[in-house]
Amino acid sequence: MPGDQAGPVFSALADPTRRQLLTAIAAQPATATELATGLPISRQAVVKHLGALFDAGLLERERSGRDVRYRVTPAPLSDAVSWMAQVGGQWDARLAALARTLNR
Amino acid sequence: MTNRIERELPLPGSLAEVWQALTDPDWLAQWLADEVAMELRPGGEARFRIGAEVRTGWVEEVSPPPRDGREGRGGRLAFWWALDDEPASRVELALTPIEPGSTLLRVVESRPLEVLDLVGIPLPGPGGSTHGPALAAVA
Repeated sequence: MPGDQAGPVFSALADPTRRQLLTAIAAQPATATELATGLPISRQAVVKHLGALFDAGLLERERSGRDVRYRVTPAPLSDAVSWMAQVGGQWDARLAALARTLNR
Repeated sequence: MTNRIERELPLPGSLAEVWQALTDPDWLAQWLADEVAMELRPGGEARFRIGAEVRTGWVEEVSPPPRDGREGRGGRLAFWWALDDEPASRVELALTPIEPGSTLLRVVESRPLEVLDLVGIPLPGPGGSTHGPALAAVA
């Protein structure tokens, strides 16, 4: 990956919600509305996070009727960055489940 | 570049309780994978089912927290896992007591063996309990 692209990519991925969104979109391209239904945050918040991921060059936009569908851009994601996004997102989900289990 | 992610999370529960959540198959099935079988000794085999996907691996380190709760001493569990022919990654789960009823968990998952790939040494396949401990020693 060219060095000048690493900065925005890493700062976009520093946020756990954005990693979670990226992981979900990597599994299946989705609209902000679809993504918001699976998350405890508003559609507006999802749109804001998607904007940050788009600005970092991690997502592509595609018009889908009245909505915009997002898909992952393969280009600026080196293997290392996509590994970190995927594995980091998985641990965020596992640790949330562990905390819930211990709280019971 | 070594692939590496790190997370830290304070958890409700004593050191002993959280250690149980990291090592007991019933507890592990609540959060780590749908099904976990881990031989809790260095070199022991490990198997993790996550939905339709099965990861295999081995245990590198099992250091339970001291029973007498000596000041500041924690616990550590380290294992390796891999999906099919993907390179194995190392998972380290370390516990530190914060205060009574609260324990800090630190997770590091990394692929330290990718450095071997860069210099042309083939990476180990999953479940290689014959290779596991030796390669763990290399890393």
